[in-house]
Amino acid sequence: MKPSRTVDTRTDLLKLLCEAAELEHGIACSYLYAAFSLKRDMAEGGMTWEEQQKVRRWAAQIYFVASQEMLHLALVWNLTTAIGGTPYYFRPNFPQNSKYYPIKVPIELEPFGPRSLRRFILYEHPQNIAQESALKSLLRSAVEDGEEIEFGSVGELYGLIESGFRSIDEKELFIGSPTQQMTKDLVHFPGLLPVLDRTSAIQAIHEITEQGEGTAKDREDSHYGAFVAILKELLDSRERGSGFSPARPAMQNPSARLERGYGADANPIGEPLAQQVAGLFDSVYSLMLRMLAWSFEFDSVGVEEQLKKFCSVTIDLMPRVLLPLGEGLMLMPAGEKYPGKTAGPGFGLTRHVMLPPSAENARQLCRERIKELAALAADLVQRSVPEPVKGACRHLGEIARNF
Amino acid sequence: MERDYDVVVVGAGIAGAMAAYRLAEAGARVLLLEAGNRNPSRAQMVGSYATASPKTLHSPYVQVESDTKAPSPDSSSTYYDQPPAPHTQYKSTYERRTGGSTWHWLGHTPRMLRSDFKMRSQYGGSPDFPPDLVDWPITYDDLEPWYCEAEKEMGVAGAHEEWDGLFDSPRSKPFPMSMIWPSYSDTWIAERINGRSFEGLEYRVRSTPSARNSELYDGRPPCAGNSICVPLCPIGAKYDASVHVRKATTAGASLWEQCVVTKLDKDADGSVHTVNFLTYGGARKTVTAEVVVVAAHAIETPKLLLMSGLANKNDQVGRNLMDHLSKSTFGIAPEPLFPFRGPPSTSGIESFRDGDFRRVRAGFRVSLNNDGWSRKGAPYTEIIDFVTNKKRIGADLREALFARVTKQLRLSCSVEVAPDQNNRVELSGQTDGLGLPRPKVTFTPPDYSFKGLAQATRTLGDIFNLIGAKEVDLGVDNAYDGAGHIMGTCRMGGSPENSVVDAECRTHEHRNVFILGSSVFPTVGSPNPTLTIAALALRAAKDIATQLGVTTQRKVSA
Repeated sequence: MKPSRTVDTRTDLLKLLCEAAELEHGIACSYLYAAFSLKRDMAEGGMTWEEQQKVRRWAAQIYFVASQEMLHLALVWNLTTAIGGTPYYFRPNFPQNSKYYPIKVPIELEPFGPRSLRRFILYEHPQNIAQESALKSLLRSAVEDGEEIEFGSVGELYGLIESGFRSIDEKELFIGSPTQQMTKDLVHFPGLLPVLDRTSAIQAIHEITEQGEGTAKDREDSHYGAFVAILKELLDSRERGSGFSPARPAMQNPSARLERGYGADANPIGEPLAQQVAGLFDSVYSLMLRMLAWSFEFDSVGVEEQLKKFCSVTIDLMPRVLLPLGEGLMLMPAGEKYPGKTAGPGFGLTRHVMLPPSAENARQLCRERIKELAALAADLVQRSVPEPVKGACRHLGEIARNF
Repeated sequence: MERDYDVVVVGAGIAGAMAAYRLAEAGARVLLLEAGNRNPSRAQMVGSYATASPKTLHSPYVQVESDTKAPSPDSSSTYYDQPPAPHTQYKSTYERRTGGSTWHWLGHTPRMLRSDFKMRSQYGGSPDFPPDLVDWPITYDDLEPWYCEAEKEMGVAGAHEEWDGLFDSPRSKPFPMSMIWPSYSDTWIAERINGRSFEGLEYRVRSTPSARNSELYDGRPPCAGNSICVPLCPIGAKYDASVHVRKATTAGASLWEQCVVTKLDKDADGSVHTVNFLTYGGARKTVTAEVVVVAAHAIETPKLLLMSGLANKNDQVGRNLMDHLSKSTFGIAPEPLFPFRGPPSTSGIESFRDGDFRRVRAGFRVSLNNDGWSRKGAPYTEIIDFVTNKKRIGADLREALFARVTKQLRLSCSVEVAPDQNNRVELSGQTDGLGLPRPKVTFTPPDYSFKGLAQATRTLGDIFNLIGAKEVDLGVDNAYDGAGHIMGTCRMGGSPENSVVDAECRTHEHRNVFILGSSVFPTVGSPNPTLTIAALALRAAKDIATQLGVTTQRKVSA
């Protein structure tokens, strides 16, 4: 589909890339929250053996899709630096209402279920099938809330970005240094392409949209296709009337601390211990983001080893610390205000110090910060927290020792 | 005369299912006959495996009736009639069921090399060169487009740039998916050995191409690192032939399970149109077809031909049985490598597969593995040892276990087996649950391969040495395991004098009988065979379709 307008200045293109970075980032968090909420153990109840296998498969798929969203964010950063911009890692805290982005779909943190899956399908749907009745009927049957479904598409945004890369003079546009581009030799991201010219820029954009929407010939093997299949499976099992309950009763849009500039609609976690774990999650998440963004921002010449180290530490932090902290939080009570609900990570981006250009100083700041966080974690291990949280804290200690 | 089907395919494993799919899509009336049973759901099979003790390759697939009526060496350790003798025994096994042994394969899909197709002309001449090590009647270039096709059909994840041009074997297309990311252990080892060499050959760790989704592909999910690829991928991220059985039936092919084919009847003109089979209930039935495809792999295929008295004027059916000699070696790394996660193997070393040394000894592949010492019973054996012998419990036990298990490393090799006329499958006087002969198997690896195994063992020892491993266990000289790569027994060749099928997998003697699968391999090189099986099956399907078009006067094109 042709974009409704064209983009013909660097400023416009950079603004759109920042918007894309915000969206990819926010959507990845939303997917992760849903994946954290899926039950692991039969002892959690609400599922048979066969259903547990299904839940494990869903979790794997959602984690995989989330990891590709992170790749999209990385590709957007490469696109940004290729034309002289700086990687953008900020985003407003959750929830973001449907008016904030042109896609007209809210971005929230809520547990796995028909409502969250409906949102995921809306994020990823191909533009040209938005009006198809099968999709509309599936979305209607997901949640009977009578909500008017009006939505745009992330694909539309990339259509605009592509138009900018096509229309602006190539020689004028690509002013970033080629050695500023991150490649899979520096960071373990399969599929990470360096952006050096118009051709590679378009290739990167197509990689993003094809993974999200698929292609006209193959919708099934895309994020969109995967979410449609999961929603159908979930609705099908509900129709058959089983007592299947795949998700933990996690609260929506939690925040570790309300007073630190969170949006008014976030729900502060009431239970002090869970609040502390959620606070640790936010701090590790924020440090990880800063290290990753730093690696994408500066020229790699002369600092390859530090870039590799920063990237490998951030990638280590995701599965070994953030994931078990996130899953563990969903096993901890949320507080008296939320009867029967468990907590969750708020992915809170609080005020923080941005890393300086000097590699040595950046390393020093990160080393000190990770040690401080490891000390907090060491304290938490002694408390009565779920096993995944204890594991995460131990891992954080190890990573800090080896930093 | 109108026959029941255009094509009857015996065996619903990867070769039969792929050919059936292509032919049904091309408009042929296809019947797939399978001796084994219908599969329960994947979740049920995972459940059977989870609750089985001890856990074996066959644990997910136990079904009393089919294990009796269509037994296999997986379901019965006495299925092969062969004398027990160390170092002279055939050790690879298989499943008889819809989807075949791909249910429990590891999923690796390296291609054969250019030289693997012309061993005699490239390396022959020395007295140490085995007399039966021949050239294929086709070349790497003939098969290359079909390798690409097979990679697309199966869904292979790999790094094109690492494999393109390996030993003069170029790739004309990239893999359909980016590689399965190497494990931490792979990268750790690579950092320590890449660029170093052993006896003149340089180490280079490469990610192993595998039919395992690294992304969403063909309606199946990406690998989630469940680590039990063998014996069963719990989510279907690893390819198995149930994918193409389903595609074949969707395209219109019929699938009859629990039908054990007993004999193919030859007409006066030498053609074969009648397929006789037994149901589990003992009923004798027949079905007729224009073309008969036998795709029952390298043990059951020659068995059926021998039972039918077909294609064997030159006494070649059943001969040249091959495998790869596999050996596992173990060591304790100087720091944690975190095994027991992800696919059991994600990288390997290809440097030793080809070279002038093949004039006198076999080539081999090296696999770096991610499964710790599980082949020795870890981590259970360690837990028992720590608790019962060293009296450790609680946090102390956890720490001791962590310190040891995370450093466990297994390296393995897969050594080329040269063909030998005396290694063969014959009909045994002993029978199975339906009264049919069991396979009599004779197998002694040739010296050429034992020399390769000895060299491979030394190489693995060198790698352990370079990485500073301790407690290295290189096993006993000449001891080997089966690789599960059952090959040979109906070799392909240009001349009817010394081979069973021609370059299109058609039997020399019966022009409407095709043999698909690894039984047609004249030689085997050292790669895992499944991709070559698939490529040959897809290539043959095109020839079968052409032949059918001529016989039936219908438009059939695959």
